Amino acid sequence: MSAPAPALAKPQRPRVVVRLADAAVTVAFLSLIFGLVLVFFPVSFPRIIVTSWQRGYLVVVMMAITLVLDAVVYLRAAYLRKAKPPILVTACLGSLPIMVVGGLSFLMESAVTQTISLDLPNVQARVNEEILAHTYLGLVSAVFLPFLVIRLLQQFKATK
Amino acid sequence: MSFKWLVWIGLYLVMGVLVPWATALSWAHQHGSVVRPRPRQLFQRGELGLVGLVVVISAIWNLLQSQFMQQTIALAAVLLAMMGTMAGDVWIETYCRQATGTACDPRRTWRDSRNLAFLVFSVAVVVEILLDRFAKVAAL
Repeated sequence: MSAPAPALAKPQRPRVVVRLADAAVTVAFLSLIFGLVLVFFPVSFPRIIVTSWQRGYLVVVMMAITLVLDAVVYLRAAYLRKAKPPILVTACLGSLPIMVVGGLSFLMESAVTQTISLDLPNVQARVNEEILAHTYLGLVSAVFLPFLVIRLLQQFKATK
Repeated sequence: MSFKWLVWIGLYLVMGVLVPWATALSWAHQHGSVVRPRPRQLFQRGELGLVGLVVVISAIWNLLQSQFMQQTIALAAVLLAMMGTMAGDVWIETYCRQATGTACDPRRTWRDSRNLAFLVFSVAVVVEILLDRFAKVAAL
């Protein structure tokens, strides 16, 4: 059997090469929006976050937000470079934000428990501030870290 | 609500970006040069990443002196350190590429360092806002 003619062979689309700078802008804007909302609504915004944590859906909302943001950044990079998203990277982006938010929620629980256990004045306000800080850090980590992991894996693959 | 964080980040913007740029313009003027360097030309080798690294060090130092729980301090410090390292890494990569004669795209270097420095500045600002809020709560 003869080899297919070059004209009939399907052109291979290049794989997406993720640059950290793509994700950096999204995380920076997310961070700025969080900061501005915190400055202009210093009481109501933290209250919404603490109430959703007490009702148990803060982590789910954070997972949803970070998954959507990660997907948008990655698909935008793929579209701009006219490249094909590899399955491994897609799976990595689908699972890492959930793992990061899930893991950091344990850290938040631990910080809250420790704050309550210490005999400090104004405990409730301290707990609220800890929850606010962990929510922010969780959001930023869950968008930034998956791209950092992918970037380092790409570097490792390139040097191999 | 105090705006101490705004003064804090403003100092870094002025000392890290505006002063070097003004110095370059002043040097060009003194030497009668027609070249008027723009920030993009001045920081084209990824030096903005180094400014980001300095901002990160200061934010981590402030975090270490706060009364947040150690879990919160550790998480914020590690995150800031990773971002600062990646921002500084743009300058290192550009230096290595230029030193070894490997292909180097100045537009890409500028974009990477600008975006990562923007990230570092915005995260450091929010961390300072959180520190400011917590200091008030702890002082009550």
